Amino acid sequence: MLGPGTSWYLALAGFLFGTGALGVLIRRNPLIVLLSLEIMLNGGNLALVALSRHWRNGAGQIFALSVMAVAASEVCVGLGLVVAIHRRRLALDVDRLSELRG
Amino acid sequence: MTPVLAASAGNVLVWIVWVVAAFACVGTGIAVVSFSNAFYSALSLIGNLGSLAVMYLLATAEFVAAAQVLVYAGAVVVMFLFVIAYVGPRREVPWAGGPAWQTIGAAVAAGALLVEIIVAVGLKAGGSLSHTDHVGGSFGTPGWIGRLFLADHLLAFEITSIVLLVAAVGGVILGSHTKRGGPDLPPRLAETQREAETEVAV
Amino acid sequence: MTGGAWLCLASPLAGAVLITLLGTSVPRRVAAWLSTASVAVAFAGALWAFFSLRSQSGHHGEITTAWTWLQAGNFSAGMQLLVDPLSTMMMLIVSGVGMLIVLYSIGYMDGDDEERRYFAYMSLFVFSMLMLVEGGNLLLLLVGWGLVGLSSYLLIGFWHERPSAVAAAKKAFIMNAFGDATMALAFFILIAHSHSLAFGTSFTTVTHLSPTAANLVALGLLGGAAAKSAQIPLHTWLPDAMEGPTPVSALIHAATMVTAGVYLIARTHPIFEHARTIELIAAGAGALTLLVAGLIALVQTDIKRVIAYSTMSQIGYMFMGAGVGAYASGMFHLMTHAFFKALLFMAAGVLIHALGGEQDIRQMRGIGRLMPLTKWCFLVGALALVGIPPFSGFFSKDSIIASTLNIGWYGKVFWASGVVGALLTGIYTFRLWFIVFPGEPSPFVREHLHKHHGKEGPWTMLVPVGILAVLATVGGWIQWAPRWHYVTTWLEPAARTLAAAEPTNTQEYVTSAVTVAAGLIGIAIAWAVYSEETLRVPAVPALRNLLEHKFYADELYDALFYRPASGLANWLTRDLEEQVILPTGPDLGQTALDAGGAASRVQTGLLRTYVFFLATGAAIVGLVFLLVK
Repeated sequence: MLGPGTSWYLALAGFLFGTGALGVLIRRNPLIVLLSLEIMLNGGNLALVALSRHWRNGAGQIFALSVMAVAASEVCVGLGLVVAIHRRRLALDVDRLSELRG
Repeated sequence: MTPVLAASAGNVLVWIVWVVAAFACVGTGIAVVSFSNAFYSALSLIGNLGSLAVMYLLATAEFVAAAQVLVYAGAVVVMFLFVIAYVGPRREVPWAGGPAWQTIGAAVAAGALLVEIIVAVGLKAGGSLSHTDHVGGSFGTPGWIGRLFLADHLLAFEITSIVLLVAAVGGVILGSHTKRGGPDLPPRLAETQREAETEVAV
Repeated sequence: MTGGAWLCLASPLAGAVLITLLGTSVPRRVAAWLSTASVAVAFAGALWAFFSLRSQSGHHGEITTAWTWLQAGNFSAGMQLLVDPLSTMMMLIVSGVGMLIVLYSIGYMDGDDEERRYFAYMSLFVFSMLMLVEGGNLLLLLVGWGLVGLSSYLLIGFWHERPSAVAAAKKAFIMNAFGDATMALAFFILIAHSHSLAFGTSFTTVTHLSPTAANLVALGLLGGAAAKSAQIPLHTWLPDAMEGPTPVSALIHAATMVTAGVYLIARTHPIFEHARTIELIAAGAGALTLLVAGLIALVQTDIKRVIAYSTMSQIGYMFMGAGVGAYASGMFHLMTHAFFKALLFMAAGVLIHALGGEQDIRQMRGIGRLMPLTKWCFLVGALALVGIPPFSGFFSKDSIIASTLNIGWYGKVFWASGVVGALLTGIYTFRLWFIVFPGEPSPFVREHLHKHHGKEGPWTMLVPVGILAVLATVGGWIQWAPRWHYVTTWLEPAARTLAAAEPTNTQEYVTSAVTVAAGLIGIAIAWAVYSEETLRVPAVPALRNLLEHKFYADELYDALFYRPASGLANWLTRDLEEQVILPTGPDLGQTALDAGGAASRVQTGLLRTYVFFLATGAAIVGLVFLLVK
């Protein structure tokens, strides 16, 4: 294969995953949390595609497409929740939205 | 690891493109997580997605790259932008809030994950990742993907379609208007409601 | 003959069940007559069994098994009935006298709210007693034994609104339960050795046991017999049992249940003969009881209590007779005693019923003038009790006393106590008669006497009294030991009298003479003290107190058993239950709540916390994965 080897792709994918995880853990705005989640998913997709190329198996790309579809659905539902919360005049802050506590 | 320098013009070009795309990816990724303005974060996400599409092209996944741009950058991010615009401006200090241990702990956890992935990839799989064979001409083409979807991975195809349907229905229901006179909020949430209203005014 | 036995047993049970099932849908009278009819059918069955046994040569009787009732390992017991001379004699007594008493109850209990319950219990009792005497193995005998105790409890406490009746019922049941326990222990020893409780097997097993074991078995049986028959030391329940209705006292605590102990000794006499010491202890207990009860009866003022102590005393005679080996004499006295004691109780019941429930003899003075029939019947019973010829008691009691002469020095002691007992019997019986019947009617009597349509009582009460008066007169004529002895001969296949307990004719005549003389002297003393009042009762306060407190037996048992037990129970409640056990429940619950509360603090509700834990967990798992692989 031309260009960098598969390991470079995987390293980058890991970095994206870690960055996304950091964002999910740190941020309070649920919208940003969802965006960070997208970063994580993309990191996963990159790893899938790179390895699919490495082992010349199409399953990786198929899976990457499914992940993309699921991510889209999850964003749709998550944004629906955010809209509903906003419409109820609640604070968009994951620290405040903590009714499910023991 | 493969030798960095290979004596081929095409190879050098690929390398340059790859490095640029990688930097863009990293930079926009950090930007998404760091901006206090959600709008800027969403825009950074577009950049991230685009650079990733380039990466996919370099890895001979043309259809995936196209889907990435169309679906992610074209639909998902647009949804984000709409909602961010609807919700309005928010002031948030990204790294503030929550107990201190949580921030530090989060950094540590994310870092640990990253290191582990690198170690895993480097140490364990280093050998088998050293040499990549050439692929055939139809690898990664839409037709090839389509054939795979409808032959080898039909179940994944169908399940994905059901997931999309469910999400669509859920999105509609969540977004519909609530009836007047719903149940009263619990006191804590009512409190946040009042704060939210004052916050908007800021 | 076995058909008769089954009929005799099943009929009262069917009566009891039928009365219970019919409940309040039938009038009370119907329930009463149903019960009487069921016992009458039982009597017919007993007659059938008796006559068919008589026609059998040898009169050995037979055991009939319906089905195997109990099978456990290599122990099995069948639902067996035994028809032999001893059991048919008891069947006739129980069902015959029972029939008369249940008929009497129709008049006595008329108007009571819970009459049906009473008659169901009476039928149940008759069934239980018949089960006891007809049981073909020791296990069924024990079943009857227990059921009889239960029926006694139910009937003593029949008027359950009275606390004294309930207490008396409990006392009777608990003392009888003690006897049941000792009998069960004896049976366990037998089962351990022979895996069977059939009569024949058990009797031969005892011969193979060590002397200690045999003595224990006999002692266990004696415990049960003493409890059921109210002999010392298990006698304190009988006077209290007079809380029950008078027919109950007549049937259960005079004629049948309390004589079950004597029947037991006669039935299991091979066991007792193998443990001769215990048998003599039984005789000794009988002798002691007859004296003590006779003494206590001298100071009683409740008419039923006098008769109850008299019962205790007479059963002492029976125990004495059976204990020395004169089983036939004991059983004969059982039969005549059933007649005259039931007569006495029922005549007393006529008085009580006419006076609206009064039982104090001092209030009843002079009632004889207004109730002549009762007076004469009571006199017949009293003379039979004292043992004056030609009444029935004479024939049976003297044989017992005479049979003790030949068994050693203690036999002479028994003989002397028997004679002294006859003297005491004369005194207390006629003390009772002279206080209650002759003379001018007291003001109380004039005021409270209610005759039944001009007669002394309803016919259902008077007819049984009359029949029993006749039986008390002629019932003894079937045996006069020196000359003719049908009873002894009849019982020989089942309970042969020991040779040592066979008195010679001379001894019989002498004993009879002495006893009758003692009885007459007693009557004379009573006449002098209570009727003519020429003699005075000696005033010895200490002695009087002793007698009135029944030799302090109740107080002794209270201190020995009741106080420690209730003290222990109170201590357990106060210090164990309330301090330790009761708080444990709420404490456990509180601990669970606290633990749950502490655990629930993990659920902060903050999304970031959850995700953080998620990420940390994933990192740790990845680390482990790396290290392991």
